[in-house]
Amino acid sequence: MTSLTSLDSATSLDAAEDAAENSADSITTADERSPAELAAGRLRLRRENRRLFVRRFLANKSAVIGSALLLLVAVVSLLAPWLTGRDPYALEVADRLKPPGAEYPLGTDNFGRDLLTRVLYGTRMSAEIGFVVALSSSLLGLVVGLYAGYVKWLDQILMRVMDGLFAFPAILLAIAMMAALGPSVGNLMICLTIVFVPSIARLVRSSTLVAKEQTYVEAMHALGASHNRIVWKHLMPAALSPLIVQGSFVFAEAIIVEAALSFLGAGIPAPTPSLGNLLSDGKLFIYNSSWMTIFPGLALVVVVLAMNLFGDGLRDLLDPHARRAGKKR
Amino acid sequence: MTAEPLLQIRELKTYFHTERGRVSPVDGVSLEVGKGEIVGIVGESGCGKSATAQSVLRLFDEKRLASYEGEIRYGERDLLRLTPKQMRSVRGNEISMIFQDPLSSLNPVHTIGDQIVETLRLHQSIGRREAAKKAVELLRLTGIPAPERRAREYPHQLSGGMRQRVMIAIALACQPQLLIADEPTTALDVTIQAQILELIQDLNRRLGMSVMLITHDLGVVAETCSRVVVMYLGQVVESGSVRDLFRKPLHPYTIGLMRSVPRLDGDRQRELPAVPGSVPPLHQIPSGCRFAPRCPYADDKCRSSQPELAALPGTDTQVRCWHAGRIAGWEAAQ
Repeated sequence: MTSLTSLDSATSLDAAEDAAENSADSITTADERSPAELAAGRLRLRRENRRLFVRRFLANKSAVIGSALLLLVAVVSLLAPWLTGRDPYALEVADRLKPPGAEYPLGTDNFGRDLLTRVLYGTRMSAEIGFVVALSSSLLGLVVGLYAGYVKWLDQILMRVMDGLFAFPAILLAIAMMAALGPSVGNLMICLTIVFVPSIARLVRSSTLVAKEQTYVEAMHALGASHNRIVWKHLMPAALSPLIVQGSFVFAEAIIVEAALSFLGAGIPAPTPSLGNLLSDGKLFIYNSSWMTIFPGLALVVVVLAMNLFGDGLRDLLDPHARRAGKKR
Repeated sequence: MTAEPLLQIRELKTYFHTERGRVSPVDGVSLEVGKGEIVGIVGESGCGKSATAQSVLRLFDEKRLASYEGEIRYGERDLLRLTPKQMRSVRGNEISMIFQDPLSSLNPVHTIGDQIVETLRLHQSIGRREAAKKAVELLRLTGIPAPERRAREYPHQLSGGMRQRVMIAIALACQPQLLIADEPTTALDVTIQAQILELIQDLNRRLGMSVMLITHDLGVVAETCSRVVVMYLGQVVESGSVRDLFRKPLHPYTIGLMRSVPRLDGDRQRELPAVPGSVPPLHQIPSGCRFAPRCPYADDKCRSSQPELAALPGTDTQVRCWHAGRIAGWEAAQ
């Protein structure tokens, strides 16, 4: 309720300024207020806007929780080598399958490797893959979507290829491509990028199709702008906010698919710690040493949940329609 | 008489290739715009006014949708013979266009200033900072108060009239010799309309810029233009100086349009006369004179063969009607 009233006061402030300016519009005289006064007013307005945004962000529970978890994941991924003094590959054969305790906070695996270290490095690996895949499939999907949306004859070609890729279940397609390319982190990133491009391309294409019918695009054409300029300067911004949201979901999705592939043995080669590999290692010992499965699983849940909550919150913040619909519910 | 011609359109035909076959919204249009002149183009909706204007800049997609025939002579060049790249350097630079709806003609995601700067830098090698300074000047020229501040604002922060001023500022950025204004005041309320028209006239006088003003408002034409071209179904039916045409309209369509303008001193009890019927769709163009089905003067000759646009002896007026001479006589007798 409090946030509502302050929103109202801000809009009335806006309206007052608008009214003042519109009266100036009709008589075409210079503004009566002094520059200092105007600057102060502008600053006040900007500060008010910022406060409103912060409040809106804080009111959005999923955005707050998502960002907090995401921050945790980011810190863990970046600082993994310093958070534990151990080497994720160091074998301690005497300490095999030790349960969580003072020396090994999360226990050890069947080769006596410290599970905490491996989970931290695994999270780092997952986050890295998710980030790279989200970024590269967003970029590629943006290019494909923009040109498919803008150039009619390219649309048929590009989108039919995208539909073809879309027809396969994501994991199946990724397994097939990994089998063809051979297991390595780089190949995994390439495969996952290809898998996720179609969803991004479709999204960008749809917003481009809407934006290109706007009069301002025709106006830019009439002003002598080239097609490429229209695409990148005037159509791309319209696609950006849905793209960012979709990108964050691809991030989460890529981590899940990576884990699934590694679990099936089609992902990252064995000794490298990734969450999927850790789960795969744990499944043989799940009755006697369940920590080997539980902790990597929890880490996976946290990472994916963080990304999904963050994406949801982002969508609510960026898209006014979604926000309103959410309030009604 | 007309001034030295800047733009000469001769027998322009624009074809649209649609699923139902080829239609031509612009069918053999010839008209001239002199240097420093304001020419009005009037007609009902669907008469090909806007299509003519957009054809001048070749805005239709020539790869799939449209093709052109005829000649659009601008200075030494024929615009229809230019390569796409040459055409781009004409658009916005030598010939500019403003659109009907200023609310959607500006990109909501860029500031006003940025959009003017973009047009400037599109056609001139000019530094970012200098362009920004010039953008403010242009906003000032179009009568926008506090232009330095406005340049940093987004389109949604401006009223409709202000946005049309911004559109004009953008159109003027590269000092074009010809401004095509496609119903620039239709979306605005009446007081703002008057201001925008005044602004266009003022710029025409001060910068010597020619204007092609497309409108369906005869009052606007009478106020602002020196010559007027009346279009019906993709053809010019009458053209001449505003004085002659308003004093003595010769084509039945023009006469109908004039009669359908409400008058302050008119009889309020009587129903306002309208041109009967409506503009037929482009794929059902009547044979013979295109206006014949709606024309009170139409006879068998009108229905069977099409009149040519012909100059009336002793006047500057051209008219496309078999009965022009008779009508001229009738009107004189009244």
